[in-house]
Amino acid sequence: MSDDENDVSGLNHVDMSVRELLTEMKDTSEVITDLAYASLMYNSQPMADKVRGLEKDMDDLKYSIRYKVLMSCRTREDARQLSGLLEVASAADRISDAASEIVGLLNLPAERRPFISEMLSESGEKIRILRVKPQSDMIGNTIKKLAVEASTGCKIIALRNRHGWTYDPDDEQKIHAADDLIVRGTDEGADRLSQFTEGQEKWVFPDPIDEEDAEEDADDEESIEQELRGDEEE
Amino acid sequence: MSHLESMLLELKDTSEIMVDLAYSSLLYDNTEIAEEVVTLSGNLDELANHIQDEAISLGQANPADVARVVVISRLQASIMDIAGAAEHIADVVLRGLAEHPVLAMSIRDADTTICLAKVAPDSVLAGKTFGEISLSTRCGMFVIAIRRDKDYIFGPGRNNRMEAGDILIARGPEEGEGYFKDLADGTEKEL
Repeated sequence: MSDDENDVSGLNHVDMSVRELLTEMKDTSEVITDLAYASLMYNSQPMADKVRGLEKDMDDLKYSIRYKVLMSCRTREDARQLSGLLEVASAADRISDAASEIVGLLNLPAERRPFISEMLSESGEKIRILRVKPQSDMIGNTIKKLAVEASTGCKIIALRNRHGWTYDPDDEQKIHAADDLIVRGTDEGADRLSQFTEGQEKWVFPDPIDEEDAEEDADDEESIEQELRGDEEE
Repeated sequence: MSHLESMLLELKDTSEIMVDLAYSSLLYDNTEIAEEVVTLSGNLDELANHIQDEAISLGQANPADVARVVVISRLQASIMDIAGAAEHIADVVLRGLAEHPVLAMSIRDADTTICLAKVAPDSVLAGKTFGEISLSTRCGMFVIAIRRDKDYIFGPGRNNRMEAGDILIARGPEEGEGYFKDLADGTEKEL
């Protein structure tokens, strides 16, 4: 809950900016669908529970973004533009509701849905499990440092290490030897990633972010957030 | 895979491309991409009707399969919900309500973006298979689907050929986009 004593929303995510909230909702809408299909493929009840958890989070995010947007809206033009933004947020929430419906199929006896795993294994973008071999140079690095998705087009949607499974792992999660990764991506991307997990190829670390660009971006962001908060001079 | 299952798979793959396209239409505030989402949604309605008809016939012919038919219908309904959400996002663009800069910024903050490129007749890609030219190692872009005329090829493999006029839909880092688009439209000849 927010630390701000003036906050009356009772929501968990009102400390985030509108931009952060919307990014989080978009990302969640994508990973929750991948996890929902993966739970059917692997018959995983814990994965289904994670989907339900994310869906609950998404509800809080949805109300948080409405709260923040309504607080910041002052003019007709604000109202017009922000109505579109809120519709996008609602759509992301709707996707997470659908994902939650999909994992509901796990409650049906497994013999009624033997075809689903086979069908999903033929998808355009597939879900696969890869094991990190001891000789892989991904070991000891975080998902963020490796920029796994940018480098291979594959998103790590779940990871198993000695502590057990983590679904939708954080960017700061480190890769260790013998980790199992569940990834979503094209065949080509997953083949490439498996070259790295097998240690057959050396990881190419992405260039550090151009500082000037990052600064410019941060400036843009700040001015927009000021606008949203209604801080600008009139 | 039975015909019914391959139709359901097409429904799923299409719904996912719709979501990808819908978010990228926001990123570029691009009505053309948004229109494509609406077109795909029309195709999906048709496909969903076929699935329903075939599922009903299957259930009537083999009562033992009724349980399977229920699973298929439920999955289909959820997939259609996802596709519907994608259409709502595209609608925001089509109504001209996607101008707020925070929208594009939030989409850009994600790790990868979706980008579209049309293969020109004089492009080095035209006539080549994905096996011959590995776009992913060259520019970091992974082609997730090809639009050829009205059809979609989902998850093209090494043996799929790129043809002039194809629209490639790729996922990758923003930095890879420029080179990828130049290769497709023929301005970049160096591989």
